[in-house]
Amino acid sequence: MAKSDGIIRILQGLLVFGNVVIGMCGIALTAECIFFVSDPHGLYPLLEATENDDIYAAAWIGIFVGFALFALSILGIVAVIKSNRTLLLVYIILMLITYAFEMASCITAATHRDFLTPNLFLKQMLERYQKSETDNNNDKWMTEGVTKTWDKLMLQNQCCGVRGPSDWQEYTSAFRNTHSDADFPWPHNCCVMDAQGSPMNLDGCKLGVPGYYNSNGCYDAISGPMNTHAWGVAWFGFAILCWTFCVLLGTMFYWSRIEY
Amino acid sequence: HPHSRPRHPGARTMLPLLLLLLATAHGLDKFPALADLTLGGRTTASTFVLEQPRCVFTKLQGDAVIWLVVAVPEAVPNFNNSVRPGTPERQFQNFPGKALAYMTLNTTILNYPCPKNPGDITVLRVGSETSCAKDEKRPTCNGPLPGPGPYQVKFLALNNSEPVAETAWSDPITLRTAQPLSSIRVMGSGRSAGMIALTSILSILFAILLAGLVAMLVCGLDGSSGSSTFNKPEAVTVRRYNTHHVYDQPAARL
Repeated sequence: MAKSDGIIRILQGLLVFGNVVIGMCGIALTAECIFFVSDPHGLYPLLEATENDDIYAAAWIGIFVGFALFALSILGIVAVIKSNRTLLLVYIILMLITYAFEMASCITAATHRDFLTPNLFLKQMLERYQKSETDNNNDKWMTEGVTKTWDKLMLQNQCCGVRGPSDWQEYTSAFRNTHSDADFPWPHNCCVMDAQGSPMNLDGCKLGVPGYYNSNGCYDAISGPMNTHAWGVAWFGFAILCWTFCVLLGTMFYWSRIEY
Repeated sequence: HPHSRPRHPGARTMLPLLLLLLATAHGLDKFPALADLTLGGRTTASTFVLEQPRCVFTKLQGDAVIWLVVAVPEAVPNFNNSVRPGTPERQFQNFPGKALAYMTLNTTILNYPCPKNPGDITVLRVGSETSCAKDEKRPTCNGPLPGPGPYQVKFLALNNSEPVAETAWSDPITLRTAQPLSSIRVMGSGRSAGMIALTSILSILFAILLAGLVAMLVCGLDGSSGSSTFNKPEAVTVRRYNTHHVYDQPAARL
């Protein structure tokens, strides 16, 4: 008896420790996903306009999964200490459901990150930036979002276009329909601005003199935060799930070895 | 001949010779030419940027006017220098239909001082005036070019509307053409290795858990009295039995 008593104590201790870690990770996951959903870089309108904002859906799922993990970990600790078979079964089944949701969140975040290529943003920028005739309210909403976001991006990050100002020259665009090529070879937000927010030297900017216009592209400023977002949700969730896998296996073994 | 290089007097005679050799090697001796490659807006869809004619017209009087002539290549062989600027044959608004060339950007030699300050960007942007592009009262407008070209340019100096000096014709200049944006391919995103690894590992783990759950329930329902089970750690209550000692029995009734 003493030997099995010792083993049971060790297993209980391990399971309690595992559940404590799951609880803390759940809170961390919730906090991380709330941070991503709050969109600190203001890039959500770009994703909304691609109609492919599933990495935000993944973050929303992550918020609720985090809470669920925290609550279930407390249930798990109680169930393990009391060695109650019913409670443990409830715990295992609810944990499996939560596991499935978190799995969906991770796979969604990872898969949809792969859709966000430079060409996707380039096409969207050319189609929507400063588009004047919009078809319906939805189109108008998305166009305004894209225009405001790009204006802010180009001003704050001192960049122009997705790959560079030549994007505006190489392809036709909605911008080109309303702004003549001679006056606006690229938008004026690509110019280096002075303290009052107007171009330092508009002629230099139109000529493309280095130092008076931003010759680098904005893709790094977009893909950096989005990669962090997607990989943060996907890989942290993956780590939590691996740990949860071990704890659940241990709990199943524990359950099958205790009596009613 | 106006097409001469500046000669710096004194001991620095090797330098211009070296520059001339360098320029010839790079083909920069050809004037007029497009501006430096570092300018991002060197050619756009309707404008292009030329180097200014600095130190090119060396024997001009102060009141001569230097014009820029922009022409389609068909007009180059039979070009008549004596046609006055501003006439319908040289009007910007008629280019390139009725007028095969137009003249614009007129200025005196004083605006092209020689030698130029090092570090200055001395360029001319052809096509920058959009306000007068349709204004027939401004036939010498520096309006945006109507198509991708090609175009050839030269500088022509007139004194009282008589041609006094000119440069050679430039090489044909072709402007940029914008591709339609529908030609941008968005699809075709490859699946990254990380995503494949993540999906497959998670699926396998989930499958193992489900299998474990099924095994657990099956075994649990079958052999709940299985061997090597852990006893619940609650203390087994031991009931005390009162042992009936034989010798405690009352004495047998005799």
